[in-house]
Formats: sequence, C-alpha cells, structure tokens
Amino acid sequence: MTLVVDTVTKRFGEIVALDGVSFSAEPGRIFGLLGANGAGKTTSMRIVLDILRADSGTVTWQGRANTEVPRKTWGYLPEERGLYMQMTVMEVLRFFAALYGVPAREATADVEDWLERFRIPDYRDRKVQELSKGNQQKIQFIAAILHDPDVLIMDEPFSGLDPVNVQLLKEAFLEMRGRGKALIFSTHQMETVEELCESIVIIDRGRVVVAGHVRDVKRAMGRQVVRLAADGVDGTDGLAWVEQIPGVSLTRRGEDYLELHVRTGTDPASLLRAALERGERVTRFEITDPSLEEVFIEHVGRPAEVAEERHLAPGQARDDGREWTS
Amino acid sequence: MIGGLFPNAWTVAVREFRLRVRSRVFQVVTLILALIGVALALLPVGVSALGFDQPSSVAVFGAEPDAKVAADGLVAILNGMEHSGLEAEIIADADAERAAVESGERDGLVTVARGADGDLSFDLYTADGPTSGLVFAVNTAAGQVAVADRLERAGVDPSQVGEIFAPTAFHVTPVDPNAIDPEENFGPRYLLATALVILMFMAVITYGQWVATSVAEEKASRVMELLITAATPRQLLLGKVMGAGGAGLTQYVVVVGAALGGLVLQGPVAELVLGEASGPSLEVQGLNPGLLAVVGLFFIGGFGLYATLYAALGSTASRQEEVQNITGPMILVGVAGYFAAFTALNVPDAEWVRALSFVPFFSPYLVPIRLVLGQIQPWEIGVALILLLVGVAVALWVAARIYSAGVLLYGQRPGVRAVWRAVRVNR
Repeated sequence: MTLVVDTVTKRFGEIVALDGVSFSAEPGRIFGLLGANGAGKTTSMRIVLDILRADSGTVTWQGRANTEVPRKTWGYLPEERGLYMQMTVMEVLRFFAALYGVPAREATADVEDWLERFRIPDYRDRKVQELSKGNQQKIQFIAAILHDPDVLIMDEPFSGLDPVNVQLLKEAFLEMRGRGKALIFSTHQMETVEELCESIVIIDRGRVVVAGHVRDVKRAMGRQVVRLAADGVDGTDGLAWVEQIPGVSLTRRGEDYLELHVRTGTDPASLLRAALERGERVTRFEITDPSLEEVFIEHVGRPAEVAEERHLAPGQARDDGREWTS
Repeated sequence: MIGGLFPNAWTVAVREFRLRVRSRVFQVVTLILALIGVALALLPVGVSALGFDQPSSVAVFGAEPDAKVAADGLVAILNGMEHSGLEAEIIADADAERAAVESGERDGLVTVARGADGDLSFDLYTADGPTSGLVFAVNTAAGQVAVADRLERAGVDPSQVGEIFAPTAFHVTPVDPNAIDPEENFGPRYLLATALVILMFMAVITYGQWVATSVAEEKASRVMELLITAATPRQLLLGKVMGAGGAGLTQYVVVVGAALGGLVLQGPVAELVLGEASGPSLEVQGLNPGLLAVVGLFFIGGFGLYATLYAALGSTASRQEEVQNITGPMILVGVAGYFAAFTALNVPDAEWVRALSFVPFFSPYLVPIRLVLGQIQPWEIGVALILLLVGVAVALWVAARIYSAGVLLYGQRPGVRAVWRAVRVNR
C-alpha cells in the first residue's frame, strides 16, 4: 500500500540529476522531500508522475508500475504555478476535474465546499487573473485534489503564502491525511516539516543523504539538545561549568539560557543532577532532539534557506533546461 | 487509439473553442471580415450606383461636308465596338464641346478634317493618357475609316470595302493542351477554385498560428505542467487542433456566409439603389453538395495536418515572442502549397499537379482545384484522402513526441538535434 521509488537514476545529457534515489511514502502519512532547489526534488516528482521517465530504477504504487497506474491516482501541485488567467475560478476547476473524468455537478459542489473552507467563496465566478498570488495558489491546490487522488504530490506548496493561508493549507493537508491519502511535499521550511511530516528524505545533488522517520533521522545525529537556565545567576556565565562534563558541548549562549549538545552515551539527566548538586536553582531544563534544520545543515553543509536562495532562479533552469545546454 | 483520446481531447477542444470565440479580438475581427465580405459581394451594385461604369462619351465633329461623312462612319464604328464602353455622337459646335471636355462632362472630342493631300486627319482632344482605352479605340476606328476612304478614292467599289474588312480567320493553338481556355480563366469556376485556394491558405496560416500561439501560451503561463499530468500529449494536441479549428471554421462560416448573403441580396439591393432589376452578376457555378463534401474533407484534413505540426513547434517555444520564428518552416511549406496551387490553376491536369495532389501537404490545395477545373478520377480523390489521413496520424504521433519533450523545456530554444534526441529517447 505504498509509493515506492527504487534506485531511480536520471541523466540530462552529461549531468546526473538523480543518482540512485530511493524512498517510500505511505497512505495516511505526510512525507517531506527536502533539498536545495536543483537538488533533484522536482525531477523526482516528475518521474513519479510519469511526466519524465527515469533512465533506470522503478516507481511503483501498490505494487504497480507508475506507468500502469491511472492518471487519476495522482494529484499534482507544481512549483511553477499556472492557471488559465482568462477563465473564472469555477471554469478552470471544472475543466481540470473534467480531464480527470469528474462530472461537472460533482465538481461544482466540491469546488464550492473548498472555496468556503479557504474563505474565498465570493471568488467563484471571478477571473483567475483578478485573484492574488496566494489565492491563485489555493485554487491550484483545489485543482490538484478535485478528482480525489490517492497520492498528492506538491512542490513547495507553502512558498509565497501568508501565515493565515499557510495555516489553512496545513489544515487541508491534515484533512487529506485523515482521508487516507499519501501526501508528498517539498519545502525548505523546516518548521513546517517538523510539524507535519512523519518521515522525510533529504536529497543533495541528486543523491539521498538521509531518509527515514523524522525521529530516527534526528536520533541518528548521535546527540541530544539540552536547554538549561538557572535563577539568580548573572546572565548565563555562571553556568560555564557544564562544558566540563564529558560528552557535553556548548552550542549557543542565549539571552538567559544555554543550548548544549549531549552526545549519545551521556545521560542528559546527569546535567540536571550536576546542576542541582551545585546548588543552582534551575528554572528551565529541556531535552529535545536536534532540529531538522540542524540535520539538514549537518548533511548538506549549508542551511536550507540559504541553499534555496542561491538556487532560486537557476533551479528551474537546471531541472528543465540542462538537456539543451549540453 | 481513439478510445484513449476521448473524452479528454473533447474537453480540451471545448475549452479552447469557448475561450477563443468569447474573446473580444475574435468577435471584432470576425465582424470586420464579415463586413468586408458583404462589401465585396455588393461591390458591383456600388459601382453602378456611383456611376463608375458609365460609358465614356465621345463627341465627333466634321467641319467640311466631306469630313462629315467620315465622321458618321467613325461614330458608327465606335458605337459598334464590343466591350469598348464608348458612346459616340456627332456634334455641331466644336468650341462648346472643347469646353465640355475641359470640364470633364465629355471624355473626348474628335475633329475630322481632310488635309491638302486629300487624306483624312483625326484630332482627339482628351484628358486621357496615350495608353487609355478611349485613345486606343478611337485610333483603331480612325484607321478603319481612313483606309476605307483611301480605298474609295483609289477606285474600289464601296460594296467591296465591306469584304475587305471582314474578320480574318484566326485561331490560337496552345502548346499545352491541358491549359485552360483564356476566356474561361475569368469564369466563375476559375473564381471558385481561386477562392478555395485562398481560403485553404488562410486557414493553414492563420488558424495554424493560433494553435502554435495557444500552446506556447500554456507553456509560458506554466499551466502546461498541470495539463500533462491530467491528460496525454495526444489528447492535448488533438483537442487543441479541434478547438482552434472549430473556432476558425466558425469565423469562416460567418464571413463566407455573409459574403454569400451579399451575393444573393445583390439583385434586391440593386433594385432598391438603382431602381432597376439586375440579376446576380456572379453565378456560383459548379458548386454542388458532392464538391462541398470533398472540399470540406480535404479542408479539415489539411488543417489537421498543418495545425498538429504547428502545435508541436509551438511547444518548443519558451516565450510567445519566439513562436513566430519557430513556426517559420511551417509557413514556408504552406506558402509552397499556395504557389503550387496558383500555378496549377492554369494547368489543373498537368502531370506534376497529378503527382503532387497525392502528397499530404499539397493535396488539400490541389484536389479541390482539379475537382473544380480539371479531370480527377474518384479513386484519385480516395487515395489522396487516405494518404492525407495517414499523414495526419503520423503528424499526430511525431507531434505528440515533440510536444511531450518540448513542453518541459524552458530556457533557450532547442535546436533541431536536441528535439530529435528528445523525440528518440522517449520523454
């Protein structure tokens, strides 16, 4: 019952876009596809959707090759948004629904339902060009799900949305997950991934560098994060002794707390015991896993946001244009 | 294959058709073309109403009694000329007529006189240039009068003069027996064939370009990526061609219908404007349902062939501005067919025309011509049609491959080799 991408390789001329990429996504789960633009996220998605064909490797859904699976199975929100600007919202959505064989009446009811949910019911008969970018993006999301696909593939679905719309879209994600859909999305916003995703894959330059459950991925870092603050101590200087404990290193000196890395093998609780033994009045003690941001930096060598900006424009060109540049 | 094409191709076609027909540009252009069609159809009536077809009027003046006889002869010959559009009459007051010519009331004044040597002399006072029909006609007539006069003075019996001027036996034998009688060249059938060629050419160039532009638009607006996830390239291509073709056909029906309406109304309108009944000057001759059916089939097939390839080329453009350049080769092929057709109008049964009328890119032009003007066997029509349909199927196959490779390519324009590679390597 899963989507399995198995050692997929894709070359565009000389350039290897995907090099033995494997991952799998489950129904009723949200899967995060992370990586800088140009890392191979879009190419992976296009291969899953059978818009592009892999040079080698396979993609299967419930054991069937993706080329054999009906198109209705997939819902797609491309990174480059595009709708027919001259048509009304209802016309556009009915058109795409019709391509997937959804009867007009059914589509109309669904569209009205979703517009209501996205708080834009008045835009039903407006031309798409009159809508803001954020609202167009919501229309495009509706276009991707009207035919009730089993697998939803979304390329940077949150980019360009304001916080209110991000929240609306997250709720929609959770609803689709509740309906038993497999959701795959790419993003560079790590907080969103932490919030929504159960498992992830990080791709860098066409290779999978990390894959698995978010919890496992974090644990595999070989450390935990401890945040510590104590009352009556001037600033945080008074806590300098913590660095003396083996397996502990100070990573950030906050305004009124310290952030420490504790290597696996050292019990984080020993920090608290040591503090109490020294008579510190501890006001904050928090043990967490490393953030995904840290995981990303560790494996890719730079933060996702920075990587994103560096590749913003050429990313598309690399995915699309390189075949012709060689 | 058909089962895999519908209903999505139909969905795409309906969208394309509606959007196009709904656009302001389409409506305005169609209206203007329809008005032009009606205007052209009613042109003959307008010409009559405005008096452009009034005959030229020539005054003839003979001063001496002797010259008066010659003047009478000149008037008789001028008025007897066919197609000259001349009206000649004897006048008495040369000075008044001179003023009339200057003011434009008269087109010319001929003064006949006999010189000292006994020969007749003719002086034409006119605003027309030396190459005008009026000058030519008067010159010819004057020559006849002068020669007859000389013969009489030489002692030839006046009754024999008529025999001398009897028409000569003269016949033209063309090198190419298939060439059409020049008289027929301006006949209704010839006009019909010409109109069909022009309509075909316009459809291929204009509506083909629509398809290419529309594909490039979808690509530029990035709607394409959604489309190719939802439907196959073949469905999208066929739908595009059908939708744009349907809109084009609608425009044609409106414009041609308006023009035909104008032709039918010519009689009543003439009666209304001129107060006299005159039947339609242009008979729609040789137009019958069978002919229309064949022409229609080749029209649709030809448009399908060209438009499919236009769509494929459009898919390789990244921006709409590039479409014009990319579709250059198609325009070249279309123009080649157009010129071949215009040459063929005069030799519809020549060997090369027969051969070319089987070739898909040319048959939509040449089969209708041969049907209207020449001799074409039913089996030839059948074979040409089958070849055309095969051509459309092949074009759809090739175009679908170019399209599925082309629509994802942004950045610089792909070269021929790059497109070929994309077509070969299955997406």
